[in-house]
Amino acid sequence: MTRVRLVWRDADRVATVDVLAGQTVLDAAESADVALPFGCRTGACGTCTARLLDGEVSHRRPPRALKERHLDDGYVLPCIAVPETDARLEVGAAVQADLVPNPWK
Amino acid sequence: MSDAEQPTEADVHDHHDHEGPGYLTPQAAIEESEPEETAYVMGLHVGQDVDAPDFLAVVDVDPDSDTYGDIVERVQMPNRGDELHHFGWNACSSSCHVEGLERRHLIVPGQRSSRIHVVDTKDRRDPEITTVIEPDAVYEHDLSAPHTVHCIPDGEILISMLGDADGDLPGGFLELNDDFEVEGRWDPPGEIEMNYDFWYQPRHNVMLSTEWAAPKTYYPGFDLEDVENGKYGQRLNFWDWEAGTVEQTIDLGEDGLIPLEARFLHTPESTHGYVGAALSSNIVHFWADGGEYHAEPVIEFDDREHEDWDMPVPALPTDILVSMDDRYLFGSNWLHGEVWMYDISDPSNPRKADSISIGGYFGDVQEVQGRDLVAGPQMIQLSLDGERLYWTTSLFSSWDNQFFPEEGEKGSVMLKADVNPRRGTLSLDEEFLVDFGDLPEGPARAHEIRWPDGDCTSDVWQ
Repeated sequence: MTRVRLVWRDADRVATVDVLAGQTVLDAAESADVALPFGCRTGACGTCTARLLDGEVSHRRPPRALKERHLDDGYVLPCIAVPETDARLEVGAAVQADLVPNPWK
Repeated sequence: MSDAEQPTEADVHDHHDHEGPGYLTPQAAIEESEPEETAYVMGLHVGQDVDAPDFLAVVDVDPDSDTYGDIVERVQMPNRGDELHHFGWNACSSSCHVEGLERRHLIVPGQRSSRIHVVDTKDRRDPEITTVIEPDAVYEHDLSAPHTVHCIPDGEILISMLGDADGDLPGGFLELNDDFEVEGRWDPPGEIEMNYDFWYQPRHNVMLSTEWAAPKTYYPGFDLEDVENGKYGQRLNFWDWEAGTVEQTIDLGEDGLIPLEARFLHTPESTHGYVGAALSSNIVHFWADGGEYHAEPVIEFDDREHEDWDMPVPALPTDILVSMDDRYLFGSNWLHGEVWMYDISDPSNPRKADSISIGGYFGDVQEVQGRDLVAGPQMIQLSLDGERLYWTTSLFSSWDNQFFPEEGEKGSVMLKADVNPRRGTLSLDEEFLVDFGDLPEGPARAHEIRWPDGDCTSDVWQ
């Protein structure tokens, strides 16, 4: 079991969830009644996008919603992310909006 | 439970014995329909920090009602995270020969979840979910990301699917039977790569499908790098409707980037229609001549300079529709902030009739009843009689976040203009405002609109 600390941006909101071996961060959060954004739950859509602040996670399927540059910047997909160690993640809808800015502005 | 018994041989094509749903002709739809009193609108919380599912909103659009302009009922989906987007009926006028079939069930797909809901609207103001097709039953056919729903004339249902089970290409089509069970994949895999909207014109045995991108490409947001790498669509795919195979593909090139909504004229005799190429900001006219289809841009919206932008702002015409009398093409320029109507009585030479400058980056009107609009006009719907045009303002949750980030915080609005189809004029009805920002769980986005008795974007004639 690992322990994951969830931190929301621009809000005094934090939560800590225990993640069972092999469980995804999203599943663990739901078990603990902590609401995170999500969509496809398969790693394709990026609605759940979070940023890894500390620790290590692995994806149990290829994270198709994330490009190389996003992975390099520490973005992860809680719907398919399994913590390898205790970890700290920035979560919430604002993180998804980081992925692709307005290309013309 | 089925909405229809199978028709006997004698019933088929016997249009004088009109027992099924819809109207005998497009003109009959105009003459026989009553003004809409109820609108069904897709409402969304996906991708927000709102712990609530998406919903079907029932909006009162009866001006004589005390609750005119209110969301009078919401049917919440059983799960969060769907991204309700487009939806459609189990039956339309193409099945008007099918005795006992009713236009009664809405097929409501989750664009991100790949879950498909069936909603019974027997009680128009209190619809209920009767069937839920879970994502695994869709992935089983190596399809995902359901988009457009059209009925097939004998009571079956066809849904365009934008990706494979991994959210990659190719997309395809999923068929449901009249008991709302997954029948299987409609098309042989590999006929198309990208998919988006479709429309069929059965008298000419043709179906047209358009192209957005792979779900994994468009889901996270609009990345110009993906356009440069050819990851977005630019083709029109013309199918043999009976055989389910692509007969002709037209590559629109740079003039037709991201061809989205596909609209044939309503008269079943016509091979003419239009597609909105959103990224190129062109409206493309297509028609058949000499046994093949042709396509060319007939309306071109110019980019505009904006002081806050490094690059010129494209108009982004994201939705179009043809009035039931095939006289006008209506559309919305989401970024510029404009709804427009063009006279298409000469289909190759559309003539601008009128427009309203509202919302978006350049709209003259930026608030209605004191409510900031925070986005441009997007999904449009026209009354069957062609006298009232309604629209909502959300495109897609992740794309909204890029172009109109306030929409997630304040929610969408639904607005209305009065249309004079004799004079060719549009005028904003400032008395009408549906505020999706003011809901108990939090602000919601709003997307496609439909009427209980059919509309200009669902009905097809055999």
